[in-house]
Amino acid sequence: MQSISKHLPHYFVLFGLLFAGILAFVLFSYDRAFQMIVAVAVATSYVIWGLVHHSIHRDLYFSVVLEYLAVAALGLVMVFSLILRT
Amino acid sequence: MKFIQKIAHLIIPRESNNQKAKLLHNSSLTFITFAFILYQLIISFVPRFAPKILGFAANISPDEVVRLTNEKRTQVGLSPLSLNSTLSQAAQAKGADMLNKGYWAHVAPDGAQPWVFFTNFGYKYKYAGENLARDFSSASSAVEAWMNSASHRENILSSKYKEIGIGVIDGNLAGVDTTIIVQFFGTKYADTVPAVPIAEAKAAVAPAASPTPIPLAGQVKILVSPFSVTKSVSLGIVGLLLFVLIIDGILVSKRRIARIAGRTFAHIAFLGMILAIALILKAGKII
Repeated sequence: MQSISKHLPHYFVLFGLLFAGILAFVLFSYDRAFQMIVAVAVATSYVIWGLVHHSIHRDLYFSVVLEYLAVAALGLVMVFSLILRT
Repeated sequence: MKFIQKIAHLIIPRESNNQKAKLLHNSSLTFITFAFILYQLIISFVPRFAPKILGFAANISPDEVVRLTNEKRTQVGLSPLSLNSTLSQAAQAKGADMLNKGYWAHVAPDGAQPWVFFTNFGYKYKYAGENLARDFSSASSAVEAWMNSASHRENILSSKYKEIGIGVIDGNLAGVDTTIIVQFFGTKYADTVPAVPIAEAKAAVAPAASPTPIPLAGQVKILVSPFSVTKSVSLGIVGLLLFVLIIDGILVSKRRIARIAGRTFAHIAFLGMILAIALILKAGKII
Protein backbone atom coordinates (compact mmCIF):
# COMPACT_ATOMS: atom_id res chain seq x y z
CA MET A 1 0.00 0.00 0.00
CA GLN A 2 2.92 2.29 0.81
CA SER A 3 4.26 1.60 -2.64
CA ILE A 4 0.96 2.65 -4.23
CA SER A 5 0.80 6.03 -2.49
CA LYS A 6 4.50 6.57 -3.14
CA HIS A 7 4.08 6.10 -6.87
CA LEU A 8 0.60 7.46 -7.33
CA PRO A 9 1.40 9.29 -10.62
CA HIS A 10 2.72 5.99 -12.03
CA TYR A 11 -0.55 4.26 -11.22
CA PHE A 12 -2.58 7.11 -12.68
CA VAL A 13 -0.76 6.54 -15.97
CA LEU A 14 -1.42 2.78 -15.78
CA PHE A 15 -5.10 3.27 -14.98
CA GLY A 16 -5.38 5.77 -17.84
CA LEU A 17 -3.92 3.22 -20.27
CA LEU A 18 -6.17 0.42 -19.08
CA PHE A 19 -9.27 2.60 -19.05
CA ALA A 20 -8.49 3.79 -22.60
CA GLY A 21 -8.26 0.12 -23.60
CA ILE A 22 -11.69 -0.71 -22.18
CA LEU A 23 -13.19 2.42 -23.78
CA ALA A 24 -11.73 1.50 -27.17
CA PHE A 25 -13.26 -1.98 -26.90
CA VAL A 26 -16.67 -0.51 -26.23
CA LEU A 27 -16.49 2.21 -28.87
CA PHE A 28 -15.06 -0.05 -31.59
CA SER A 29 -17.11 -3.14 -30.82
CA TYR A 30 -17.93 -3.40 -34.54
CA ASP A 31 -14.27 -3.64 -35.62
CA ARG A 32 -12.55 -6.88 -34.59
CA ALA A 33 -9.23 -5.99 -36.24
CA PHE A 34 -9.05 -2.70 -34.36
CA GLN A 35 -9.93 -4.43 -31.09
CA MET A 36 -7.01 -6.82 -31.62
CA ILE A 37 -4.66 -3.89 -32.28
CA VAL A 38 -5.92 -2.21 -29.11
CA ALA A 39 -5.32 -5.41 -27.12
CA VAL A 40 -1.71 -5.64 -28.35
CA ALA A 41 -1.14 -1.92 -27.69
CA VAL A 42 -2.50 -2.09 -24.14
CA ALA A 43 -0.55 -5.28 -23.29
CA THR A 44 2.67 -3.74 -24.68
CA SER A 45 2.03 -0.50 -22.77
CA TYR A 46 1.51 -2.51 -19.61
CA VAL A 47 4.86 -4.28 -19.99
CA ILE A 48 6.62 -0.98 -20.78
CA TRP A 49 4.94 0.62 -17.77
CA GLY A 50 6.33 -2.22 -15.61
CA LEU A 51 9.83 -1.80 -17.01
CA VAL A 52 9.85 1.97 -16.51
CA HIS A 53 8.27 1.78 -13.06
CA HIS A 54 10.71 -0.83 -11.75
CA SER A 55 13.61 0.91 -13.43
CA ILE A 56 12.78 4.14 -11.60
CA HIS A 57 12.29 2.16 -8.40
CA ARG A 58 15.67 0.48 -9.00
CA ASP A 59 14.31 -3.04 -8.65
CA LEU A 60 14.15 -4.13 -12.27
CA TYR A 61 15.29 -7.76 -12.56
CA PHE A 62 14.98 -10.29 -15.34
CA SER A 63 12.41 -12.33 -13.40
CA VAL A 64 10.29 -9.17 -12.98
CA VAL A 65 10.39 -8.55 -16.75
CA LEU A 66 9.31 -12.16 -17.33
CA GLU A 67 6.48 -11.73 -14.83
CA TYR A 68 5.03 -8.72 -16.69
CA LEU A 69 5.45 -10.55 -20.00
CA ALA A 70 3.72 -13.67 -18.61
CA VAL A 71 0.72 -11.69 -17.28
CA ALA A 72 0.46 -9.66 -20.50
CA ALA A 73 0.71 -12.80 -22.69
CA LEU A 74 -1.98 -14.58 -20.70
CA GLY A 75 -4.33 -11.60 -20.97
CA LEU A 76 -3.60 -11.21 -24.67
CA VAL A 77 -4.23 -14.89 -25.43
CA MET A 78 -7.59 -14.72 -23.66
CA VAL A 79 -8.72 -11.52 -25.38
CA PHE A 80 -7.61 -12.79 -28.81
CA SER A 81 -9.44 -16.09 -28.25
CA LEU A 82 -12.62 -14.25 -27.34
CA ILE A 83 -12.40 -11.74 -30.20
CA LEU A 84 -11.78 -14.48 -32.76
CA ARG A 85 -14.84 -16.38 -31.55
CA THR A 86 -17.25 -13.44 -31.66
CA MET B 1 -4.29 -32.29 5.26
CA LYS B 2 -1.92 -32.77 2.37
CA PHE B 3 -4.57 -31.39 0.01
CA ILE B 4 -5.00 -28.24 2.13
CA GLN B 5 -1.24 -27.75 2.17
CA LYS B 6 -1.15 -28.02 -1.59
CA ILE B 7 -3.93 -25.47 -1.98
CA ALA B 8 -2.18 -23.12 0.44
CA HIS B 9 1.04 -23.58 -1.55
CA LEU B 10 -0.83 -22.51 -4.69
CA ILE B 11 -2.63 -19.45 -3.34
CA ILE B 12 -0.89 -18.17 -0.20
CA PRO B 13 2.61 -16.66 0.00
CA ARG B 14 4.66 -18.83 2.36
CA GLU B 15 8.08 -20.37 2.78
CA SER B 16 7.33 -23.35 0.55
CA ASN B 17 6.67 -21.09 -2.46
CA ASN B 18 9.35 -18.50 -1.71
CA GLN B 19 6.79 -16.05 -0.25
CA LYS B 20 4.80 -15.86 -3.45
CA ALA B 21 1.67 -17.86 -4.27
CA LYS B 22 2.72 -20.65 -6.63
CA LEU B 23 -0.05 -19.72 -9.07
CA LEU B 24 1.62 -16.33 -9.53
CA HIS B 25 5.05 -17.75 -10.38
CA ASN B 26 6.22 -17.15 -13.93
CA SER B 27 6.26 -20.89 -14.57
CA SER B 28 2.61 -21.21 -13.47
CA LEU B 29 1.45 -18.23 -15.55
CA THR B 30 3.28 -19.62 -18.61
CA PHE B 31 1.76 -23.04 -17.99
CA ILE B 32 -1.76 -21.54 -17.76
CA THR B 33 -1.17 -19.58 -21.00
CA PHE B 34 -0.07 -22.67 -22.94
CA ALA B 35 -2.85 -24.77 -21.42
CA PHE B 36 -5.34 -22.13 -22.57
CA ILE B 37 -3.87 -22.16 -26.10
CA LEU B 38 -4.09 -25.97 -26.13
CA TYR B 39 -7.69 -25.76 -24.95
CA GLN B 40 -8.48 -23.35 -27.78
CA LEU B 41 -6.89 -25.70 -30.31
CA ILE B 42 -8.94 -28.59 -28.96
CA ILE B 43 -12.25 -26.74 -29.23
CA SER B 44 -11.28 -25.60 -32.71
CA PHE B 45 -10.45 -29.07 -33.99
CA VAL B 46 -12.90 -31.27 -32.10
CA PRO B 47 -15.86 -30.25 -34.31
CA ARG B 48 -14.03 -31.68 -37.34
CA PHE B 49 -13.90 -35.12 -35.75
CA ALA B 50 -17.03 -34.95 -33.60
CA PRO B 51 -19.34 -32.39 -35.20
CA LYS B 52 -22.16 -33.14 -32.76
CA ILE B 53 -20.18 -32.11 -29.69
CA LEU B 54 -18.85 -28.64 -30.27
CA GLY B 55 -20.25 -25.99 -32.50
CA PHE B 56 -22.86 -23.37 -32.27
CA ALA B 57 -26.48 -24.24 -31.91
CA ALA B 58 -28.68 -21.90 -30.02
CA ASN B 59 -31.59 -23.14 -28.02
CA ILE B 60 -33.96 -20.76 -29.79
CA SER B 61 -37.46 -21.41 -30.94
CA PRO B 62 -39.20 -19.33 -33.63
CA ASP B 63 -42.29 -19.17 -31.42
CA GLU B 64 -40.22 -17.57 -28.67
CA VAL B 65 -38.90 -14.94 -31.10
CA VAL B 66 -42.47 -14.17 -32.16
CA ARG B 67 -43.64 -14.04 -28.55
CA LEU B 68 -40.87 -11.66 -27.48
CA THR B 69 -41.36 -9.48 -30.57
CA ASN B 70 -45.06 -9.17 -29.84
CA GLU B 71 -44.31 -8.48 -26.20
CA LYS B 72 -42.20 -5.49 -27.27
CA ARG B 73 -44.98 -4.28 -29.54
CA THR B 74 -47.73 -4.56 -26.95
CA GLN B 75 -45.54 -2.69 -24.44
CA VAL B 76 -45.76 0.38 -26.69
CA GLY B 77 -49.44 -0.11 -27.48
CA LEU B 78 -49.09 -1.75 -30.90
CA SER B 79 -51.11 -4.74 -32.00
CA PRO B 80 -49.26 -8.09 -32.04
CA LEU B 81 -48.10 -9.56 -35.34
CA SER B 82 -49.61 -12.82 -36.50
CA LEU B 83 -47.29 -15.65 -37.47
CA ASN B 84 -47.52 -16.34 -41.20
CA SER B 85 -46.24 -19.74 -42.32
CA THR B 86 -45.45 -18.48 -45.83
CA LEU B 87 -43.27 -15.73 -44.35
CA SER B 88 -41.57 -18.30 -42.11
CA GLN B 89 -40.81 -20.50 -45.14
CA ALA B 90 -39.42 -17.46 -46.95
CA ALA B 91 -37.31 -16.56 -43.91
CA GLN B 92 -36.01 -20.12 -43.69
CA ALA B 93 -35.12 -19.99 -47.39
CA LYS B 94 -33.23 -16.72 -46.86
CA GLY B 95 -31.24 -18.33 -44.03
CA ALA B 96 -30.46 -21.37 -46.17
CA ASP B 97 -29.42 -19.09 -49.03
CA MET B 98 -26.92 -17.28 -46.78
CA LEU B 99 -25.39 -20.58 -45.66
CA ASN B 100 -25.29 -22.01 -49.20
CA LYS B 101 -23.74 -18.92 -50.76
CA GLY B 102 -21.63 -18.04 -47.71
CA TYR B 103 -22.74 -14.46 -47.13
CA TRP B 104 -23.96 -12.50 -44.15
CA ALA B 105 -25.92 -9.57 -45.53
CA HIS B 106 -29.35 -8.36 -46.47
CA VAL B 107 -28.46 -8.44 -50.15
CA ALA B 108 -27.00 -11.63 -51.66
CA PRO B 109 -23.69 -11.48 -53.57
CA ASP B 110 -25.67 -11.93 -56.81
CA GLY B 111 -27.64 -8.78 -55.95
CA ALA B 112 -30.81 -10.59 -54.84
CA GLN B 113 -32.77 -8.41 -52.40
CA PRO B 114 -34.48 -9.97 -49.35
CA TRP B 115 -37.86 -9.18 -50.89
CA VAL B 116 -37.20 -11.76 -53.60
CA PHE B 117 -37.81 -14.44 -50.98
CA PHE B 118 -41.18 -12.91 -50.14
CA THR B 119 -42.36 -13.01 -53.74
CA ASN B 120 -40.77 -16.41 -54.46
CA PHE B 121 -43.11 -17.90 -51.86
CA GLY B 122 -46.09 -16.02 -53.24
CA TYR B 123 -46.28 -13.41 -50.51
CA LYS B 124 -47.45 -10.23 -52.23
CA TYR B 125 -46.50 -7.50 -49.83
CA LYS B 126 -47.32 -3.89 -49.45
CA TYR B 127 -44.74 -3.45 -46.71
CA ALA B 128 -41.82 -5.77 -45.99
CA GLY B 129 -38.88 -5.72 -43.62
CA GLU B 130 -36.06 -7.98 -42.55
CA ASN B 131 -34.01 -8.38 -39.37
CA LEU B 132 -31.05 -10.75 -39.21
CA ALA B 133 -29.11 -12.14 -36.24
CA ARG B 134 -26.49 -14.80 -35.72
CA ASP B 135 -24.58 -16.46 -32.88
CA PHE B 136 -27.06 -15.58 -30.17
CA SER B 137 -27.56 -18.21 -27.49
CA SER B 138 -31.17 -17.29 -26.78
CA ALA B 139 -34.17 -15.65 -28.40
CA SER B 140 -34.26 -12.97 -25.73
CA SER B 141 -30.63 -11.91 -26.30
CA ALA B 142 -31.29 -11.61 -30.06
CA VAL B 143 -34.50 -9.61 -29.59
CA GLU B 144 -32.78 -7.36 -27.03
CA ALA B 145 -29.93 -6.74 -29.47
CA TRP B 146 -32.43 -5.73 -32.15
CA MET B 147 -34.23 -3.46 -29.71
CA ASN B 148 -30.94 -1.74 -28.93
CA SER B 149 -30.42 -0.92 -32.61
CA ALA B 150 -32.51 1.95 -33.99
CA SER B 151 -33.16 0.45 -37.44
CA HIS B 152 -34.02 -3.01 -36.11
CA ARG B 153 -36.17 -1.56 -33.38
CA GLU B 154 -38.00 0.44 -36.04
CA ASN B 155 -38.90 -2.81 -37.81
CA ILE B 156 -40.08 -4.51 -34.62
CA LEU B 157 -42.16 -1.51 -33.55
CA SER B 158 -43.55 -0.55 -36.96
CA SER B 159 -47.30 -0.17 -37.14
CA LYS B 160 -47.13 -0.90 -40.88
CA TYR B 161 -46.52 -4.62 -40.37
CA LYS B 162 -49.27 -7.08 -39.62
CA GLU B 163 -47.48 -10.42 -40.01
CA ILE B 164 -44.21 -12.04 -39.07
CA GLY B 165 -42.23 -15.06 -40.22
CA ILE B 166 -39.21 -16.52 -38.44
CA GLY B 167 -36.53 -18.78 -39.84
CA VAL B 168 -33.85 -20.33 -37.64
CA ILE B 169 -31.12 -22.34 -39.29
CA ASP B 170 -27.90 -23.98 -38.05
CA GLY B 171 -24.96 -24.35 -40.35
CA ASN B 172 -21.44 -23.39 -41.26
CA LEU B 173 -21.10 -19.84 -42.49
CA ALA B 174 -17.68 -19.07 -44.00
CA GLY B 175 -16.01 -21.73 -41.83
CA VAL B 176 -17.79 -20.81 -38.59
CA ASP B 177 -20.53 -22.96 -37.06
CA THR B 178 -23.41 -20.67 -36.38
CA THR B 179 -27.13 -20.26 -35.97
CA ILE B 180 -28.83 -17.66 -38.12
CA ILE B 181 -32.17 -16.07 -37.27
CA VAL B 182 -34.14 -14.46 -40.08
CA GLN B 183 -37.06 -12.30 -39.04
CA PHE B 184 -39.37 -11.27 -41.87
CA PHE B 185 -42.07 -8.64 -41.40
CA GLY B 186 -44.84 -8.04 -43.86
CA THR B 187 -48.24 -6.72 -44.68
CA LYS B 188 -50.05 -8.34 -47.58
CA TYR B 189 -50.96 -6.08 -50.45
CA ALA B 190 -54.48 -7.48 -50.33
CA ASP B 191 -54.85 -6.43 -46.68
CA THR B 192 -54.44 -2.77 -47.52
CA VAL B 193 -56.27 -0.23 -49.62
CA PRO B 194 -54.73 -0.81 -53.05
CA ALA B 195 -53.77 2.81 -53.49
CA VAL B 196 -50.04 2.51 -52.99
CA PRO B 197 -48.20 0.80 -55.84
CA ILE B 198 -45.66 -1.94 -55.16
CA ALA B 199 -42.75 0.32 -56.06
CA GLU B 200 -43.80 2.75 -53.38
CA ALA B 201 -44.21 -0.04 -50.89
CA LYS B 202 -40.68 -1.20 -51.61
CA ALA B 203 -39.40 2.28 -50.93
CA ALA B 204 -41.05 2.13 -47.52
CA VAL B 205 -39.26 -1.07 -46.62
CA ALA B 206 -36.96 -0.69 -43.68
CA PRO B 207 -34.36 -3.45 -43.72
CA ALA B 208 -33.03 -4.13 -40.29
CA ALA B 209 -31.12 -6.79 -38.46
CA SER B 210 -31.01 -10.35 -39.64
CA PRO B 211 -31.78 -12.80 -36.81
CA THR B 212 -31.20 -16.48 -37.08
CA PRO B 213 -34.18 -18.80 -37.21
CA ILE B 214 -34.58 -21.20 -34.34
CA PRO B 215 -34.30 -24.90 -35.15
CA LEU B 216 -37.62 -26.69 -35.15
CA ALA B 217 -38.44 -29.04 -32.32
CA GLY B 218 -36.58 -32.27 -32.87
CA GLN B 219 -33.84 -30.54 -34.80
CA VAL B 220 -32.13 -29.12 -31.70
CA LYS B 221 -28.58 -30.44 -31.44
CA ILE B 222 -26.66 -30.83 -28.20
CA LEU B 223 -23.88 -28.44 -29.04
CA VAL B 224 -21.80 -26.03 -27.03
CA SER B 225 -20.95 -22.55 -28.21
CA PRO B 226 -17.13 -22.22 -28.46
CA PHE B 227 -17.49 -18.53 -27.55
CA SER B 228 -19.49 -19.30 -24.41
CA VAL B 229 -17.06 -21.95 -23.16
CA THR B 230 -14.06 -19.73 -23.97
CA LYS B 231 -15.67 -16.85 -22.10
CA SER B 232 -16.54 -19.00 -19.09
CA VAL B 233 -13.03 -20.45 -18.85
CA SER B 234 -11.43 -17.01 -19.31
CA LEU B 235 -13.60 -15.51 -16.58
CA GLY B 236 -12.78 -18.45 -14.31
CA ILE B 237 -9.01 -18.14 -14.78
CA VAL B 238 -8.95 -14.33 -14.46
CA GLY B 239 -11.25 -14.49 -11.43
CA LEU B 240 -9.01 -17.07 -9.75
CA LEU B 241 -5.84 -15.09 -10.46
CA LEU B 242 -7.44 -11.88 -9.17
CA PHE B 243 -8.47 -13.69 -5.99
CA VAL B 244 -4.95 -15.05 -5.47
CA LEU B 245 -3.38 -11.66 -6.27
CA ILE B 246 -5.57 -9.90 -3.72
CA ILE B 247 -4.72 -12.47 -1.02
CA ASP B 248 -1.06 -12.23 -1.99
CA GLY B 249 -1.11 -8.43 -1.90
CA ILE B 250 -2.79 -8.29 1.51
CA LEU B 251 -0.50 -10.88 3.14
CA VAL B 252 2.71 -9.47 1.66
CA SER B 253 1.76 -5.99 2.82
CA LYS B 254 0.70 -7.21 6.28
CA ARG B 255 3.77 -9.36 6.85
CA ARG B 256 6.06 -6.72 5.29
CA ILE B 257 7.65 -9.35 3.06
CA ALA B 258 10.49 -8.01 0.92
CA ARG B 259 10.75 -9.86 -2.40
CA ILE B 260 11.73 -9.36 -6.00
CA ALA B 261 8.49 -9.35 -7.96
CA GLY B 262 6.18 -7.28 -10.13
CA ARG B 263 3.66 -4.93 -8.57
CA THR B 264 0.66 -6.91 -7.37
CA PHE B 265 -1.58 -3.87 -7.68
CA ALA B 266 -0.55 -3.35 -11.33
CA HIS B 267 -1.30 -7.01 -12.12
CA ILE B 268 -4.71 -6.67 -10.46
CA ALA B 269 -5.44 -3.57 -12.56
CA PHE B 270 -4.39 -5.30 -15.80
CA LEU B 271 -6.33 -8.49 -15.12
CA GLY B 272 -9.28 -6.34 -14.04
CA MET B 273 -9.22 -4.83 -17.52
CA ILE B 274 -9.13 -8.32 -19.08
CA LEU B 275 -12.11 -9.27 -16.91
CA ALA B 276 -14.01 -6.16 -18.07
CA ILE B 277 -13.25 -6.91 -21.73
CA ALA B 278 -14.35 -10.54 -21.34
CA LEU B 279 -17.63 -9.33 -19.85
CA ILE B 280 -18.12 -6.69 -22.56
CA LEU B 281 -17.53 -9.00 -25.53
CA LYS B 282 -20.69 -10.57 -26.88
CA ALA B 283 -20.96 -13.21 -29.54
CA GLY B 284 -24.16 -12.24 -31.26
CA LYS B 285 -24.29 -10.07 -34.36
CA ILE B 286 -27.18 -8.31 -36.00
CA ILE B 287 -27.61 -6.61 -39.34
